[in-house]
Amino acid sequence: MSYSELSILLGGPQGSGLETAMLMLSRALAYRGYGVLADREYFSNITGRHSYVLIAVSTRRLPRSLTYPVQLLVAMDAETIFTHFENVDVGSVLVYDKEVEAKKLTELSSMEDALRGRISNNLRTSMLGDDVSSLLKSFESRRVTTIGISYQEVLKELVERFSLDPRTLSKYVSGIVTSSAALILGLDREALRYGFESVFRGRATVVEQNMYLADLVWKELREFEGLLKLKKPEIDVEKVLVATGNDVVAMAKVVSGLRYQSYYPITPAADESFLLEKYELSEVGGTIVGPIVVLQTEDEIAAIASAIGASLVGARSATATSGPGFDLMVEGVSWAGMNEVPVVITYYQRGGPSTGLPTRGSQSDLLSSVFSAHGEFAKVVLSSGDHLDVFYDTIEAFNIAEKYQVPVIHLLDKFLANSTATLPLPDLNTVKIDRGLLSKGQEGYKRFSLDSLVSPRVFLGTPGIVMWYTGDEHDELGHISEDPVNRVRMYSKRIKKLQLIEEEVPRDIKLRVYGHVRGDFCLIGWGSVKGVALDALEVLEKKGYRGAYIEVKMLWPFPAREFLEAIDGVELKRLIAVEHSYGVNIVALISMATGLVISKKVAKFSGRPIVLSELVPAVENLLTTDANYVVLEYGE
Amino acid sequence: MGSKWVSYKSNVWVDWCPGCGNFGILTALLKAFGELELDPSKTVIVSGIGCSGKLPHFVNVNGVHTLHGRAIPFATGIKLANPELTVVVCGGDGDILGIGAGHFVALGRRNLDIVVIMHDNGVYGLTKGQASPTLPLNAKTKALAKPNIQQALNPIMLAVSSGYTFIARGYAFEVEHLKNLIIKAIAHRGAAFIDVLQPCVTFNDVFTAEFYGKRIYKLEEDRLWDPVVRRAEERPTKILKAIEKSMEWGDKIPIGVFYIDSTTPAFEERLSDRLKVYPKVSPSNSIITTVDSKPIINNELFEKIFSEFIVKVQLNKHDTTVQ
Repeated sequence: MSYSELSILLGGPQGSGLETAMLMLSRALAYRGYGVLADREYFSNITGRHSYVLIAVSTRRLPRSLTYPVQLLVAMDAETIFTHFENVDVGSVLVYDKEVEAKKLTELSSMEDALRGRISNNLRTSMLGDDVSSLLKSFESRRVTTIGISYQEVLKELVERFSLDPRTLSKYVSGIVTSSAALILGLDREALRYGFESVFRGRATVVEQNMYLADLVWKELREFEGLLKLKKPEIDVEKVLVATGNDVVAMAKVVSGLRYQSYYPITPAADESFLLEKYELSEVGGTIVGPIVVLQTEDEIAAIASAIGASLVGARSATATSGPGFDLMVEGVSWAGMNEVPVVITYYQRGGPSTGLPTRGSQSDLLSSVFSAHGEFAKVVLSSGDHLDVFYDTIEAFNIAEKYQVPVIHLLDKFLANSTATLPLPDLNTVKIDRGLLSKGQEGYKRFSLDSLVSPRVFLGTPGIVMWYTGDEHDELGHISEDPVNRVRMYSKRIKKLQLIEEEVPRDIKLRVYGHVRGDFCLIGWGSVKGVALDALEVLEKKGYRGAYIEVKMLWPFPAREFLEAIDGVELKRLIAVEHSYGVNIVALISMATGLVISKKVAKFSGRPIVLSELVPAVENLLTTDANYVVLEYGE
Repeated sequence: MGSKWVSYKSNVWVDWCPGCGNFGILTALLKAFGELELDPSKTVIVSGIGCSGKLPHFVNVNGVHTLHGRAIPFATGIKLANPELTVVVCGGDGDILGIGAGHFVALGRRNLDIVVIMHDNGVYGLTKGQASPTLPLNAKTKALAKPNIQQALNPIMLAVSSGYTFIARGYAFEVEHLKNLIIKAIAHRGAAFIDVLQPCVTFNDVFTAEFYGKRIYKLEEDRLWDPVVRRAEERPTKILKAIEKSMEWGDKIPIGVFYIDSTTPAFEERLSDRLKVYPKVSPSNSIITTVDSKPIINNELFEKIFSEFIVKVQLNKHDTTVQ
């Protein structure tokens, strides 16, 4: 039997090389033409807590969503088996370490008590013992092939062959995990080698050691080779990017002409700035790209303030953060609005309030970003649905910021930030850099000229020109003014830019419609809901429900006209809003902008991403019962 | 723009209280700019909030009047992105050492070429005289209902330990002396700090012009006072001397230069070690777009620069599975 789509889960303690395993496997799969989407779920912890990677693999396309149950579970430790016992499919495959067979649930000190309690109850209900071997036995009734391999034995051979220091052995468990998964999926060792080489770049010995591990795994598990054989790939791509959302934003920022990026370390944003630092100056074929000054500031207040400062002198400038950091930046956003400064804030949402779930996903900062900062002024909030959209939208964020001289918040989330996807290479022939209305100035230059809504911008430092900026209300020159007549004109000028933005920003940036709007239902969402919503449309269509997904991309100013056009003729009760939050707060924005109150909502705020296998029944439920609000909770 | 200092004055009416120490600071600054013949379009004053925050509007060079406490990070972005600008920060003691203390420390750590002039009057003037971080414990100015319950910090000592490489104290009504300090601070390459003692005629009736007039003396009058670090090995000794001198506060209060160190690399130099083209090619003057508004990175360059993320698909020819 062979498969065109599979769900895979790799689990183990944080810090044990799980991310490396994910990268090696993803790259090996991509090399052989398969599509991959891998979500990384981890605790706020450096070493020891349970983390896992949920991977969607497809032979037919670049996957857009994740789903349960999984057909392959590779466990580094006992905790993974206990935690994901119920996530595995009938007829699936489990690879585990033989050494943990005797482990009991009560011995897992890194497991949170709440989960231990739930598992313990489930085991009791199912009349199962609380050790790994009892679970293994029960897997048999679900036709799960359990494949035990002694990691220790395999590693012992590696030590002997390469005379390694046994203390370094934990670094090689990722090699066993990756090799076992590859073997079961029917990947060849050349692909595996590619995976190793692309991750251990320039470290030939480490590659050889991992290949030796692969040989040992092959020898040990030969009979299981291709047990979950993937079909021949039919995705028509010659090259793919294998990258996280953090990576994609950084690449897009380099392309966009970013020249200043400030940041204060915060999950899940910091990886973007790390990568930017790597690409702060490139010289390829005589073309110099950069320099990009990447500054780690003392706090997020300094991050936004210095980004604004850099923008004043003409650098394309940005900062990246998450909810707690953005909260600190808000006064700066207000200053940027007051002084009509183009600046981009890449905002990766995580679970709040306060520290909340610092390493888990959410879309619960929609309203706090749209309505952030005191006073009234024009700002733009953009969202992106998937990794490729993230690329183009990052560049668009700078274009909008400079064209309208406003702060732009690019609202992403942890799922987009940390999940690794295969995506097509962006086509830069379609990309434009729009720096807006620039001028070299003249005698008596007025930075805040009232002659037009967007005043010609001269960079501070331009020879012969002097200008003033102030957070106080100001006159055309930028000097403090409390005059009521000036106040009314200046205040209105800044706010009216919102109308200009609403009129001029292309429809495709504001809102997108997928599927059949006048069918049985219409999902409405934004950001990382896109992939799972689009896949749900397909599954539901097979079940006899035709539907659409309306993706609101520009969240502020809210594209009311386009939204009303999109749902024209659709009964209100057929609209279902989907969001990773409690309130499904897009509904509040829609209501504010259009007067329409959507009552059907799908919410998820457990910190885990919405998966296909839970969204489909939730939508069916809303379509066939009186239910109005479904809360999704699947996933550990 | 001529070299006469008067021409650096803007047309905006100066709305400080008559007799305010800020007038002395403004005059010294205008004179310093004049003597240095700074190009107004290549000079920028960045200020925070409060009475001193308004200063940029009174000067005919670029002015950026920012948020309370945040003048230093705004200035940091300006200077890093356009290193050819002369950047001067003006802020009160509440602004720089209260709400903005973290930024003050960070600038010292970076030793970025910015001059910080602190208008040190011991009170929050524009909000009617609350105690600031430089008002001593138990001091009772007239606006306070009860004596100050919080201690003062020592700005010079904080600047030394933060890593500033030019540290001085001036007095608002010793204009010539202050002007010279500002000139030296601007000429210095690295983070410079001038703590300017400034009477607040309206709210601080303890640290008045009369109080300072009797007590201040100039460090340079002592021929043996030598605050200059000439070799890196001298740093610990000179730092200790500066700290010792900064604790002198009573019948005699020293003004002048406490510490100068040109042996510590400025942030611009540290950056240019990493970004080889910097500061000649900088964020504000580098090209980001082609003539037809395309990114300078085309598809071909993209694949070269980001090759580590690109996987070339190699289908397995030996795979006999069906599609």
